Amino acid sequence: MRYKICILSVLLLISRLVLAQTTDFATGYVYNEDGIPLGDVTVQLGNNGTTTLSNGHFSLESIPAGKHLLTVSVVGYSTFQDTVVKLVQENLALQIRLSKDDKVLQEVMVVGKSETQQVREQAIRAIVVDTRAVAEQPVTLSELMNRSPGIRIRQSGGLGNAVDVSINGFQGNSVQYFRDGIPLEYLGGGYGINNVPVNQLERVEVYKGVVPMSLGGDALGGAVNLVRPKHKGSSILTSYEIASFNTHIINLSAYQSPSSKKYFVGLDAFLNYSDNDYKADVEIVDANSNPQTVTLPLFHNGYKHYFAEAYGGIRDVSWADELQFGLAAYNIDRESQHPARMTTPYGALKVYNKGIIPSLRYQKAFGNINIDQFISYSHINRSRVDTIKGSFDWYGNFRERIGGTPGESPRPSHSDINFSNIINRTNLSYFINKKHRIEANLVYNYISRLGEDPLGFRFEGTDIDVLTKEATYSKTIGGLMWESKWLNNKLTNQLMGKFFGFNTKGINAFMANDVDLDKYKTYSNNNWGIGHALKYQLSDHDFIRASWELTNRLPRENELFGDNDTRAPNFELEPERSFNVNIGYRFQKHKLTAEVSGFYRKTDGMILLVPIQPPFAQYRNLDSIRGYGFDVDLSYLLTKNLQVTANATWQDNRMVDIPDGVNAWMNGTRVRNTPYFFANAGITGSFGELLTHGDRIKTYLHWNFIREFYLNHIPRENEPKGFLGLFGQASVPVTNIVPNQHLITAGFNYFLPKQPISFGIEVKNLANAKLYDYYKIQRPGRSFHFKINYQLTKNSI
Amino acid sequence: MKKYINLSLLALVAGSLTFSSCKSDDPDPEQEGSEKYVIMTLSDRTTGQKAGYTSAFDEFPTGTISNVGATSLEGEGMGGWRTHGNNIYKMFRTADYATGIEKLNISANGIVTAGAFIASKNQAEAAKYFGTGNFVIKDDNLGYYWDAAEPMKIQKFNPSTMQNTGSLDLTAAVNEHGESETGINFRAVGQKFLAIKGNKLYANITYAKNTSTQGQVGFFDDFFPNVYIAVIDLNNESYENIIEIEDTGSIAYINENHMYDFDTNGDLYIVTQGRSAIGGKSKIVRIKANESDIDQAWELKFSDFRAADNGKFVGVFANNGKLIVTLNTETLTGGGTGNINRGNIWKFYSVDVANPEFKEITGIPAGTNPGAAMAATEVDGKIYLRCAQLNTNDGEDEYKNGYYEYNPSSNSASLAFEVNVGGAVSGFTKVNIGN
Repeated sequence: MRYKICILSVLLLISRLVLAQTTDFATGYVYNEDGIPLGDVTVQLGNNGTTTLSNGHFSLESIPAGKHLLTVSVVGYSTFQDTVVKLVQENLALQIRLSKDDKVLQEVMVVGKSETQQVREQAIRAIVVDTRAVAEQPVTLSELMNRSPGIRIRQSGGLGNAVDVSINGFQGNSVQYFRDGIPLEYLGGGYGINNVPVNQLERVEVYKGVVPMSLGGDALGGAVNLVRPKHKGSSILTSYEIASFNTHIINLSAYQSPSSKKYFVGLDAFLNYSDNDYKADVEIVDANSNPQTVTLPLFHNGYKHYFAEAYGGIRDVSWADELQFGLAAYNIDRESQHPARMTTPYGALKVYNKGIIPSLRYQKAFGNINIDQFISYSHINRSRVDTIKGSFDWYGNFRERIGGTPGESPRPSHSDINFSNIINRTNLSYFINKKHRIEANLVYNYISRLGEDPLGFRFEGTDIDVLTKEATYSKTIGGLMWESKWLNNKLTNQLMGKFFGFNTKGINAFMANDVDLDKYKTYSNNNWGIGHALKYQLSDHDFIRASWELTNRLPRENELFGDNDTRAPNFELEPERSFNVNIGYRFQKHKLTAEVSGFYRKTDGMILLVPIQPPFAQYRNLDSIRGYGFDVDLSYLLTKNLQVTANATWQDNRMVDIPDGVNAWMNGTRVRNTPYFFANAGITGSFGELLTHGDRIKTYLHWNFIREFYLNHIPRENEPKGFLGLFGQASVPVTNIVPNQHLITAGFNYFLPKQPISFGIEVKNLANAKLYDYYKIQRPGRSFHFKINYQLTKNSI
Repeated sequence: MKKYINLSLLALVAGSLTFSSCKSDDPDPEQEGSEKYVIMTLSDRTTGQKAGYTSAFDEFPTGTISNVGATSLEGEGMGGWRTHGNNIYKMFRTADYATGIEKLNISANGIVTAGAFIASKNQAEAAKYFGTGNFVIKDDNLGYYWDAAEPMKIQKFNPSTMQNTGSLDLTAAVNEHGESETGINFRAVGQKFLAIKGNKLYANITYAKNTSTQGQVGFFDDFFPNVYIAVIDLNNESYENIIEIEDTGSIAYINENHMYDFDTNGDLYIVTQGRSAIGGKSKIVRIKANESDIDQAWELKFSDFRAADNGKFVGVFANNGKLIVTLNTETLTGGGTGNINRGNIWKFYSVDVANPEFKEITGIPAGTNPGAAMAATEVDGKIYLRCAQLNTNDGEDEYKNGYYEYNPSSNSASLAFEVNVGGAVSGFTKVNIGN
């Protein structure tokens, strides 16, 4: 039994040469870094294994269609694992390059078609954030995603705070989140891009434009799919990060699959803790009642969160390729330092969120038919506690309130709200032949809300808590996709149709309305969408792709129900509708990878929160947006040790169709509070033999820039005039502006020789620049992070 | 390795410089003069923080104008203002909508900037209980305002230096009524109404029923059917007595529209909105010039306008024995689809104080609720009426947004100017910055 920590790179090429008689082969070669063939290398693909000849060649037979774990190992080299997809009636041809060194170089060298690469190259474009390549770094998922073209992650504060992903200008609920293709709502906030450690993931797929039918979402042109690694054998991966602001992140992934290979068990768990007590510019009031700016540490901004998911199942039995049971639990305690803006300090308000989620997933290929079935039930409990009678200042001093009502915020609360959430997802895939495939997908989601809040709203003229009346919401999203290949497989075509429907039931609890407590209000809406994606392979090194989609975004339950607080219900919301077109070109050869993409979108009836009658606001179908933009993404291997990356995104999303009247002038103005230009550049180096024989160090430096943007509408003629609006300033003095921002991050990883241990040190915001996200909420200044990783893999092959 | 890292750093620094903004577009004001016509517009539709613009013009605006230019002030809290002499104040800070009192500065070349700001002593309390910054100015060096941080006090400030100069404790006045009432959940003085007349300060007393479970505290939740007003003698800043407005509710409202006005002869007219946000028992009462109590012989009720009593007064302008009011032409409805803030239903009427009768002012269409804005204002000795219309899919093909000049003799108005860029008009005044 050998344990090995491996560093390698792999080039995977799926053969376009179809063997005439049989199509269940996998063949290929294994080389070292210098291109020298390696013999006696163990190659395991799914349940089939072999060793390479002295010329590095190997051949495997009877490889069924579907996903398989590829494991390649040999003495002196690190074991590599990745997932490859074997298509029906198509052989696999693989070229694998191993490195003596750590797998950190892997990403530098991966230019082929691992599963990650196949996602990058599918007809529907996805930005792939390779989390595994940076797993040893003390980096957050949000930071990683921010280094990708066309994507902006905005986080309101420090670790654990809410994030919003903006994709081509789509944001908020227009972007949807998935884990392994399942809508992420079922994990109730316990698992998301704001809190999951990168070690837990294989990669993140970000769909900009058309959302694949298999995701079964009603996103308008933006979707994020968190993909976990597929394990084989036995492994344990753990890491611990300690950082500024009393931040601690512990991660553990363990997996065990005995040699019988018929069953497996595993555990994914993590703990996030941070005081988030970074310094921020806040205001105190002097003796003259004039505000003075002081820089103070935040004192009630902590975050504590654990998530654990145990799973187990059986695989490769006659009636199931895999059947997995999972049981996840999480708990989040979060202190709330301030309201939406940093205008008011809170010192006691806390938000709690906990849940327990059993789930079941079944996968099986019946000949040419693949079934992927998932179902879960989530019991989520949320609570917001604001009962203290008084207020705090920014120094943390408490002042009791004499008289008046409890709560330091405008809305006191002691809520206890239970959500029941059922998600069923069924995916069927049928391979008609090697060129045609039909896929059907159905997602059904049911949510109910029931709770109480002794300090919450009552129905008008009663003492009846609005939360005690159950509200329910269900939605169904179905889709059918036909994928075909033409022109000797150079042209891939996907045509899809989608169905969107929702049904809601509740009591309109808005206080100004007459309320019949016995009369539940129901509302439903059905819509259709259609999408089309094309990809044409120009050569082995480049391709073009284009897609368009007419789709819907259904109103969410909180938009329909309100929040039993100042967000009033609106049971008559219509879905947002959007038409988007995307086109791109990708080139990849030797040291250079380049991609250029553009988009056009028109979105109607965007659901926005609109103030109605103080203090209430309500979601309404309000604005329409038309936009276009482009992004450029480059990666170049300067030397075998140094790689540079850069990308830039420019987007021009503007208001349209605002009817005449006092607001007509806003037609053509930029969408407010949305960055329109941002760019990244980075350099990564990897060097060996630094301190001792066999060690390795990886260094990196990343720069992120966001062009200033405005929180309110300014007339188009007053915008900065420079090229694409990139230079100069608006010709009207703008008070509500988020200024140009530069974020520089630097760090290194050190890998001990022949040890399953690595260290990472990183300095975020090296220049200690003032950084903002939502409405100028300040983000942490310079911070220091240290991370230690331990990874042990036992391959039971 | 070092070489490459150094090169990379250089490239990054170069890139940083490339993308940094060049501050070369400073305003290039063309306007100079001591008299400025100032216009405020409200462009916010979604945030509730009243984003908008304020601009100053050398000449009286004519035709159709933009309210956004190189000398404009962009920011929040642009729903209205209060003026004193040649100074403009508003209750929300331009930078971030914090509540308090902000002075606007206008330079000789017409540049409008946000000036000094008096903040609440406790922004958490100010966010919880609306009304902080409700102020009245006695003279250039003394004004009074309410701060939720100390609800039973009235704060003093210097409107020139914009500094707090002390406070008056009126706990005794507040406790004259309902001290032992357990149904009163919030008490305050001066939260919604502050007026100075005859060297006396008039300040409303809030006796609020609402707790947090019932909505806003202190608004449309009066415990008593009568409205109580404390009278303070400003000679020695001592509490004098309490006067009452009977059988109504919700005196005035927060924000810059103080909803009272002095007639040319010194009579003070005070609006009460009534029992709910959508009206009922709304009326206007009067304190005569030489009196310090409510004139029991005169009142103007909404039900006098429409017996159904399905609306309310939202402001008053008094001039030469006439009142100008805006009244809802349809039954008020609230909520997301309600007409109270989004319907073109508010029409102008004039009322002869001596012979109360509601006479529609012709020539100006019905518009939206003026809200924090003053619906009528006096500039260069003439009266101008605000009209801002939303597209409500009512079949109209033209929507007005501007000010109309009122002709008292014909009780009609004609369009003076329109604003096409910057949002709904929310203020029009003239200041002389040389004074």
